[in-house]
Amino acid sequence: MSTDAPAPAATPSSLGYLRPYRGQLAWGVAMLLLTNAFYLGVPEMLGRAVDAIGKQTDREIAMIVLWMAVFAVLTAITRIWSRIWIFNAARAAEYDLRSDLFGHLMTLSPSYYRKTPVGDVMSRLTNDVQTVRAVWGFGLVSLANALLAFVSVLGVMLWTDPIVTLWVILPFPLIYVVGQAMSKRIFGTMRAVQAELGTLSSRIQEDLGAIQVIKTYGLEGVRRRGFVEGSDRLLRANMDAAKVRIQLGPMLNALAALGMALLIFFGGRAYVHDDMTKGEIVAFSGYLARLVWPTLTLGFLLALVQRGRASWMRLVQLQQTKPDIPDGAGPPLPASDLPARVEVKDLTLRYDDRAVLEHIDLTLEPGTVTAIVGRTGSGKSTLVDALCRLIEVPPGTILIDGHDVSTLPLASLRAQIGYAPQEAFLFSTTISDNIAMGYGAGTAIPAARARELERVIGMAASADLRDEPKVTAAAAAAGLVRDLVVMPEGLGTIVGERGITLSGGQRQRVALARALAASPRLLVLDDSLSSVDAETERLILKHLRAVMHGRTAVLISHRVAAIKDADQIVVLDAGRIVARGTHHQLLAAGGLYSELYRTQLDPETTQPTTPVTFDAAEGTK
Amino acid sequence: MAVIGTAPNQPGAPNQPPGSEEATLGKAYDLALVRRLWPFVRPHWKLLLAWAIFMPLTIAFELAQPALFRYALTEHILTGKIDALPLDAIAYMALVVAQGGSAFCETWFLQLAGQRTMHAMRSAIFDHVLAQRAAFFDRIPVGRLMTRMTNDIESLNEMFAQGAITLIADLVKMVGIIVIMLLIDTTLALLTFATLPFLIVLVEYARRLMRASFRQIRVRLAAMNAFAQEHLSGIKVVQLLGRGPTAQREYNEINAGHRDAYLGQIRADASMYAIVEAIGTVAVALVIWYASGHRAENIAMIGVVVVFIEYINKFFIPVRDLSQKYAVMQGAMAASERIFQLLDTKDWDGVESGPARVATAADGPEPFGGGDHSDRPAVELAGVHFSYGAEPVLRGVDVRVPRGATVAVVGATGSGKSTVIKLLTRLYERDQGAIRLDGVDIRELPLPELRRRITVVSQDVILFAGTLADNIALGKTYTPAQLEAAIRRVGLDRALARRGGGGAGAAGSIDAPVAERGSNFSAGERQLVAFARALLRDPEILILDEATAHVDPEAEELIERGVAELMKGRTTLVIAHRLSTIRNADLIVVMDKGQVVEQGTHAELVARGGFYAALERTFRRQDP
Repeated sequence: MSTDAPAPAATPSSLGYLRPYRGQLAWGVAMLLLTNAFYLGVPEMLGRAVDAIGKQTDREIAMIVLWMAVFAVLTAITRIWSRIWIFNAARAAEYDLRSDLFGHLMTLSPSYYRKTPVGDVMSRLTNDVQTVRAVWGFGLVSLANALLAFVSVLGVMLWTDPIVTLWVILPFPLIYVVGQAMSKRIFGTMRAVQAELGTLSSRIQEDLGAIQVIKTYGLEGVRRRGFVEGSDRLLRANMDAAKVRIQLGPMLNALAALGMALLIFFGGRAYVHDDMTKGEIVAFSGYLARLVWPTLTLGFLLALVQRGRASWMRLVQLQQTKPDIPDGAGPPLPASDLPARVEVKDLTLRYDDRAVLEHIDLTLEPGTVTAIVGRTGSGKSTLVDALCRLIEVPPGTILIDGHDVSTLPLASLRAQIGYAPQEAFLFSTTISDNIAMGYGAGTAIPAARARELERVIGMAASADLRDEPKVTAAAAAAGLVRDLVVMPEGLGTIVGERGITLSGGQRQRVALARALAASPRLLVLDDSLSSVDAETERLILKHLRAVMHGRTAVLISHRVAAIKDADQIVVLDAGRIVARGTHHQLLAAGGLYSELYRTQLDPETTQPTTPVTFDAAEGTK
Repeated sequence: MAVIGTAPNQPGAPNQPPGSEEATLGKAYDLALVRRLWPFVRPHWKLLLAWAIFMPLTIAFELAQPALFRYALTEHILTGKIDALPLDAIAYMALVVAQGGSAFCETWFLQLAGQRTMHAMRSAIFDHVLAQRAAFFDRIPVGRLMTRMTNDIESLNEMFAQGAITLIADLVKMVGIIVIMLLIDTTLALLTFATLPFLIVLVEYARRLMRASFRQIRVRLAAMNAFAQEHLSGIKVVQLLGRGPTAQREYNEINAGHRDAYLGQIRADASMYAIVEAIGTVAVALVIWYASGHRAENIAMIGVVVVFIEYINKFFIPVRDLSQKYAVMQGAMAASERIFQLLDTKDWDGVESGPARVATAADGPEPFGGGDHSDRPAVELAGVHFSYGAEPVLRGVDVRVPRGATVAVVGATGSGKSTVIKLLTRLYERDQGAIRLDGVDIRELPLPELRRRITVVSQDVILFAGTLADNIALGKTYTPAQLEAAIRRVGLDRALARRGGGGAGAAGSIDAPVAERGSNFSAGERQLVAFARALLRDPEILILDEATAHVDPEAEELIERGVAELMKGRTTLVIAHRLSTIRNADLIVVMDKGQVVEQGTHAELVARGGFYAALERTFRRQDP
């Protein structure tokens, strides 16, 4: 039963989760013990009744029948309680395990999720947890029941007729041998199934990630062939596993039934030799029948425990994944309303062997706006991620107000920063909740879901934040007002999963509002207006200049309009700073910046130098 | 999403809003789901037939065992015929072995039918998903599609292993037991079945309890998973906002709700299990009570009692375990519900009415090739409007690409350049206006033909795991010589040679392995692979989205030469980022805010003194 026995020594036992509920489990097992004791009464009474047929009075028969009814009721009551105690304990332990896992997952760094698909993590959080719980609940009940049945039934049989008993239970040790041998094969075939499933999953992932190429190159047929092959291999692996698994039932059944054949032979002889009564033979047949079901359950249990073991290993592996960005041990950043001063000192970051950032030296003076430009892959996003410590950085390379970020508690650091990423992620709640999350308010449960939860679980409903001044101000600064007017619920509109009901530009602006709502001391905009149309962007930028006043800000943008007024512009190329200065300085100096600037061909900035009119464009004033 | 009663309206989602897919869970009736599953099962009817042959055999062998025991007991043991006992024991074992063999075959055929059905469903989902237009993939996360094809299919398979179909076997067994008991002793059988009404009432009551319970469980499980999924997908935001502890608290509450939803189910399950067992014992007691009245036929009656008790046990076990099967069924049904929901989300690629039109139209005559179309532009966009949801991306774009010409599109990020490509290949459908190839609206063309005539080389080149040859041929058959020639013409051989010795692709071998996502190829090398792909396809129209990613000067030069080779004598539309490409184009189209603001040759545009001229000036300032 113990799922940890065959695992490496470092793997903790899943049974640790049951420890807090050992009282309940003890009750459950005690009840099972009583159940089996009462249950034994039935074959016993049966034997007496058979011996009584034709000899006894009606009163004695009536007593036997009455006793059987009493045993039936007692068995039922103790059975119910045993199952309730144990299954509830398993559910409670499942809750603890799931909760622990979720909490752990919240601490793992983004780099973990870049390597591990969310679907994979979800599968652990759902399927694997369920399998482990099945071992705790159903597995424990079945195992305890089977053991108790064996012990009690064998005890009574030995008491009645030891010699016949020894003969008829002869096949039972074989059950253990067969079970051991089979469980190894089951585990092996199951691993093969898992491997094929993994291969198929990565294939699906590859195809779905390349969907545009598949479509434009008409690769549907080729990719389908590959998929069908993979699916077919999975089918075969599954059938190999099934072949082993479905042998187990008939084999165990045959071993248990062998006892009956032996009873016919040895019990029959014993009766003829007057060593057994006919009632005892009937009772023995009843006892043996009692053992068939636990035996078959044991077979099922073997497969379950193997599956549980594999699932538990996956969960342990997940739990042992350490967050690679540990909380800083030092004191939190002192509270302040002043804009932050950020220093980057000789920062070099490598992924594998490739340098992503090399010798970056950069100072963001309080209250200034710094723009970072560069080609795709030049390291811009990595640099801003490093500022928020979404990426682990060497100690002493990034200082905020003179404090090394790696010594700061993460919460204290991130509370200072308002960050709007390019991939705007919204929670499936109201727009106001999403914005309010920026300053720690708001709920991640949609208002409607919260109401439902309140009804079914008794959870408190969330407050409506749509009139909160911070929310409305941030929404206005992010240029959302025009959009909100046409939404029936305005700020109270629920955005759907990942904000699906909004357009890409709207999503980005809600995320921007969220970053602004925090009144951050450092504002980071990572190309966070890329899906916003140029007209709206211009409006937002106008607002932003006001909003950014008195804040330190870093922004990445591909549009010159967004960056030309920055106090300093930093040009990144292949992870190095190749130039820095103001727009005009950089333009005058030539080089990569002016090249990027040319290809951007942003009319708004090109225009002032060439005051001509043109007919086709609606123009800029 | 799960428990939101009123799912928000989804603009831009023509059918079902896929974002709220958990919202409707638990509403579909199980019977309706089974009916929908049937078409996937039907092709495997021969396997099911084989199962249906072995299933009653297994039951017959099993039910013969108590009868044999009774025979041995009454005819041999109790009458002292000890010599017959070895034969009885052997016959008993033979029945057991026969039962085991038959059970193995029965289960094997059922498993095979199940696995083949799952294989068919997996392929159907894959085909369905691949036939959706690109916008579908913008809405539904890849992870969810994967879960449908893997985990959900696996849990649906449980139905074959332990659910609905084994229920049929149980039913056959129970009917068999009833018939045999009636045949052995009608009165005793009827007396035994006096307990049946109680059983039926109990099972029905428990089933209703559990049904309500399971509905709640399903809803809460979906809510819990949706919450976890959301927070894992947005982990970066969760951490930046420091919402970890809040999320944990909320998750715990949902998790507790999920745990407590099981309380009722556990109670119902435990009660049903135990009470069914108790009713079985009462039935046995009834048999004994009845038998005690027959004092005369002592031995025969003992046999009847023994056989009845065995049958009663066998009768009650399936009923007792019904709730467990019900639980398995629930999981399978929830999975199939999600699968069918995905299959019902139809946003077909290329046609409004369904995929059938693609197939039939592909058989039709080819609208190009015959006649002289030299007067018509190879590619023409006329008044094209397009928006992703609410924001307009293209606002009346007109572009004409003459046959054999190179047209460069320039404009700021977000001006709509890349969208033009997506519309040309019908990854997305334009909202208004017309897009024509040789004067034929692309919506009139079968999708495969359209995509055969146009080849897109995009900025982000996606490589598949496999070999270099696979990645260049992309499903078509070419000789190694053809592949090598293409590699040489685009300069990929020189690029690979730069890697130096040791590497598998050092010699530019077409068998060089490509890792997943092409991670063992540099950005520049990937570009060249894409050029080789396009060169071999020899498309009528080439669409090139120039890469802006950084490559070293040597790679830059190789790419420039590769592009030139590829564009030679071909109608090309290029989203240009390189000065040389723009200058050499026959026509330059300047886009801004979703509109074409200028077009003409380099000289014309410079003379015109607009956007492009301004650009030109910065060039001159840069390179005097």
